[in-house]
Amino acid sequence: MEHGDVNVVYTVEHQLPLIMYIGQYFFFTGLSAGSFVISVIATLLGRKEFKPIGKITAILAPILLVVAPLNLIADLEQPLRFWHLMVYYNWTSPITYGSFLLTAYPIVGIIYAFMVYTDRQTPAKVLGILGIPLAISVHGYTGFILALAKARSLWNTAAMPTIFIISAMVSGIGLVVIIAAIRLKWFNKEASPETREQDKRLILQLAQFMAYTIMMDLFLIVSDVLVLLTAHSDALEAGMLILTGNFAPLFVGVEIILGAIIPMILVLGPTRKSLTAVVVASILVNIGVYAMRFVMVIGGQTIPLS
Amino acid sequence: MAEKRYGMVIDMRRCIACQACSVACKAEMRVPLEVFATWVKIVEKGKYPNAQRFALPRLCNNCGNPICTRNCPTKATYQREDGIVEIDQHRCIGCKYCIASCPYDVRYYNPLKNIVQKCYWCQHRVDAGLLPACVEGCPTRAMIFGDVDDPRSEVSRLLASNATQVLKKEMQTEPFVFYIGADETAMSNVEEEINYFTEPVYFPKVRL
Repeated sequence: MEHGDVNVVYTVEHQLPLIMYIGQYFFFTGLSAGSFVISVIATLLGRKEFKPIGKITAILAPILLVVAPLNLIADLEQPLRFWHLMVYYNWTSPITYGSFLLTAYPIVGIIYAFMVYTDRQTPAKVLGILGIPLAISVHGYTGFILALAKARSLWNTAAMPTIFIISAMVSGIGLVVIIAAIRLKWFNKEASPETREQDKRLILQLAQFMAYTIMMDLFLIVSDVLVLLTAHSDALEAGMLILTGNFAPLFVGVEIILGAIIPMILVLGPTRKSLTAVVVASILVNIGVYAMRFVMVIGGQTIPLS
Repeated sequence: MAEKRYGMVIDMRRCIACQACSVACKAEMRVPLEVFATWVKIVEKGKYPNAQRFALPRLCNNCGNPICTRNCPTKATYQREDGIVEIDQHRCIGCKYCIASCPYDVRYYNPLKNIVQKCYWCQHRVDAGLLPACVEGCPTRAMIFGDVDDPRSEVSRLLASNATQVLKKEMQTEPFVFYIGADETAMSNVEEEINYFTEPVYFPKVRL
């Protein structure tokens, strides 16, 4: 702080309003949105070898989206009043968009999964196309929740919803890779060697796609931090908090190096043909995205406002 | 009846940083332990022998364009015609998004009632024709409360005849607590960052 010899003699301690329930909710909706988008891509391409991936992700998306809002209800101080969100809605509040999106998206997701499992291609494709904007807005609105709390300089950026959507893609693909690899290793033993080889190739392709989303994520993070460092004084403070301050080990160490750069090297480097390396990269990516939620939600609130 | 817009002027030339407003508020509003609706922030500037203390009474600004009412998902917090920002304690679901949104950090979660509360300029006293508890309790009459739309009120006369400041004008909130002679350092954020790694309060608490 540039004020020189300043000493705070007395002030009150403030509470931390949003705790990691919110961060976990962001993490789970991200996983759900990411796997739904992968599932719809697999359905739309309609190739036979994409079927297993399309099915896994179709069921994963609604399951994760049932888990996610439970975090929100648990975070409420009056959990039994959650229905107030629907009855006393306020259209200027991002939480209101969320409460309606979080109702519509799982319904579409469950019907879509039913269509995929009963092998009805046309309704599955239509629902998939309808569901993608829903999946993206379900995760994009969480970015608005942070961005519209404008006093917190770490949150108040127009890039926030995009950062959330891209990191959702990263972690969602990571989870799909992990689950597809588990299926290949333990649950699909009776399949022919050709199918197994095909599945492995598909997993490696998915991992390549994950590496490209990591690149986009890194670009967005770099542009966000650059703007933070050159904007007003509160933004500078937020930038220094995550680059050199209390949150530097988590942001630079876990989110950037462990959660983005190392997985990218594992997936694109000499180990790109190894299933183990790809799975390790996917686990690291998920750890990195979880750390990103922590840095955003908790780090954004550590900068004092008074 | 003529329209009213309540406002407050805090004259820092008179404030002695005695915390009487904090105490009056605690008693009147039944604010639980560890949280405050009104408090006096005190900072020390400079080195001996050129050191000086500056105070700044803090309370809800009852903004003209509040972020909290815009972000509240249930309209539990709303603005009255006279500008007071109120909380419907039966409608609040305790999502605490308003606390995160407030640029002045004046809202608090009440662990006894499980809802969010804040200063509402003692709306119950004002409606009964009394002054807010902090204004009543101020021994040096540093806090002046009244209708800013009424040109004959003391608040309007002070606003017309003095240089005033508000907190965080850049947030576009139009605060209605005006300070006369407040110190710029005390008005800006000079607190230490809280280290949440040494104090892990971010883990969910299980409450039965």
